[in-house]
Amino acid sequence: METVLEVRGARHDYGATRALDGVDLDVGAGECVALLGPNGAGKTTLVNQVIGLLPAKAGSVRVRGGDPRVAATRRHLGVVQQSLGFPTTLKVSELVTGAAVRAGRPRAAAGPVMAELDLTDLAGRRAAKLSGGQKQRLQLAMALVGDPLLLVLDEPTAGLDVPARKRFWQILAERRERGTGVLLTTHIIEESSAVADRVVVLDRGRVLAEGTPDELVARLPDRTVIARTALGLERLQALPGVVSLRNDGEHVRLGTRSPEALLRVLLAEDPGLTGLRVEGAGLEEAVAGLIERGAA
Amino acid sequence: MTVHISGKVFGVELADELRGIVREPTALFFSIVMPVAFFALFVSLFGKFSDGGLSSGTTMIATFGAFGVISVVLMNPGIGVAADRERGWLRAKQVSAVPIGVTLAAKVVAALPYAAGVLIAMTATAAVTGALNAPLPALLRVLGVLVVGALPFALLSLAVGFQVGAGAAAAVLNAILIPSAVVSGQWMPLDMMPAFFRDVAQFLPTYHLSELARAQLTGGPVLTHVLVLLGTAIVAAALAAVSYRHARS
Repeated sequence: METVLEVRGARHDYGATRALDGVDLDVGAGECVALLGPNGAGKTTLVNQVIGLLPAKAGSVRVRGGDPRVAATRRHLGVVQQSLGFPTTLKVSELVTGAAVRAGRPRAAAGPVMAELDLTDLAGRRAAKLSGGQKQRLQLAMALVGDPLLLVLDEPTAGLDVPARKRFWQILAERRERGTGVLLTTHIIEESSAVADRVVVLDRGRVLAEGTPDELVARLPDRTVIARTALGLERLQALPGVVSLRNDGEHVRLGTRSPEALLRVLLAEDPGLTGLRVEGAGLEEAVAGLIERGAA
Repeated sequence: MTVHISGKVFGVELADELRGIVREPTALFFSIVMPVAFFALFVSLFGKFSDGGLSSGTTMIATFGAFGVISVVLMNPGIGVAADRERGWLRAKQVSAVPIGVTLAAKVVAALPYAAGVLIAMTATAAVTGALNAPLPALLRVLGVLVVGALPFALLSLAVGFQVGAGAAAAVLNAILIPSAVVSGQWMPLDMMPAFFRDVAQFLPTYHLSELARAQLTGGPVLTHVLVLLGTAIVAAALAAVSYRHARS
């Protein structure tokens, strides 16, 4: 598999704070790599180096062998940002056509991409007036119209409803089949689990773990205790052995390495506990566990 | 091939900027209307007075014209780039395959037709009030000098736009524009102002731009003015580059 992104020993400092500390990362053609980690892990800094906004203080970042700080190299890149405000004066078709020309492609390339992303009917509309989901589709169209070798997606489906998300990943799957590599950062970890070939966990500027979602989950003996409980989140977080905590509205999901001990305490503190079940850890619990162990 | 693609890319960038101005002309409308309206007022009051063999209305095309051109190129690129930065659009441009210099150059060039428009409107106003007595070639030289000489102010505008929000950029740029115009004698001749103003004016590039334009009508010396404006352009370019490098995201 041809490598489209190669990061070697990337380092970056903000004053005395080391944001990246010798990160290695590869993305192959057609591969999707998810970059996960807590806030402040260095994800944004690494992404900014990959898209050419920041120089690596040490090490190297190469997109198909070229420096992304050079405009010609960025022709191989497509970027979707978490939130982008479009100019209030430009229309959808003008933005996609402009993106094509900027990437060195003919204006005519805009039409098929707009059709692919269901934007044809919106062609004459001002981009700033689109809904959140339509804006994300427009960004993706602008990223894809240059036929990039590497797509960098920063929280690309934030604000999208479920059908829109499904369509988004379907379009990306088609592009990946044609050889486009994807570097993804997201807080929706289930999404990473579903779409990523590999997951790279960053913490405090270093790669903490790397592998397929299944490999990362298998690396931890953790279990998830799921229940409906009257206990507050603060109390739950303080229970012995809890390594992660998530509240999905109805249930709480507690990641732990010792489910038996946790269950004993839980039942003692909340005799009214219902909906109790224990599952193997998901990717979210695995990532949380890895980070906790890395910090220990 | 590279040149061809760069030309096409610049065309796209320029078209986007011009669309922005045409579709939302409010800001530019005021930056044109205000100087032209002031000019109309002053030229109707003092335009027929004599100023070294020329009518005051004619020399005011150089001095007030400098104010008008600076008003357009100082306000628009800077406020535009500040707004782009605030909405994340500048970042989108930075990560595209277009060198950022092309994007910024398009912002500056897009303002130039409007700068020329200000001058044409002022010239027409002077002609209508009967206060214009310069040959066409001299007037064209004034127009050329003012449009080209506006470059340092456009660069300064960008430097401000990289650092503050769009609202603050408008305030900061106005705070630069209005006092420097007054002290440079662009609104009223320096002869009518306190001596202190004349001393300060020598240090202002705004003064040297209007004097360079005036020299196209009077045949006065130009070297000092050209050198000051060149120096200002270099300093403003360096400021814009540093400001871009440390732009707030």
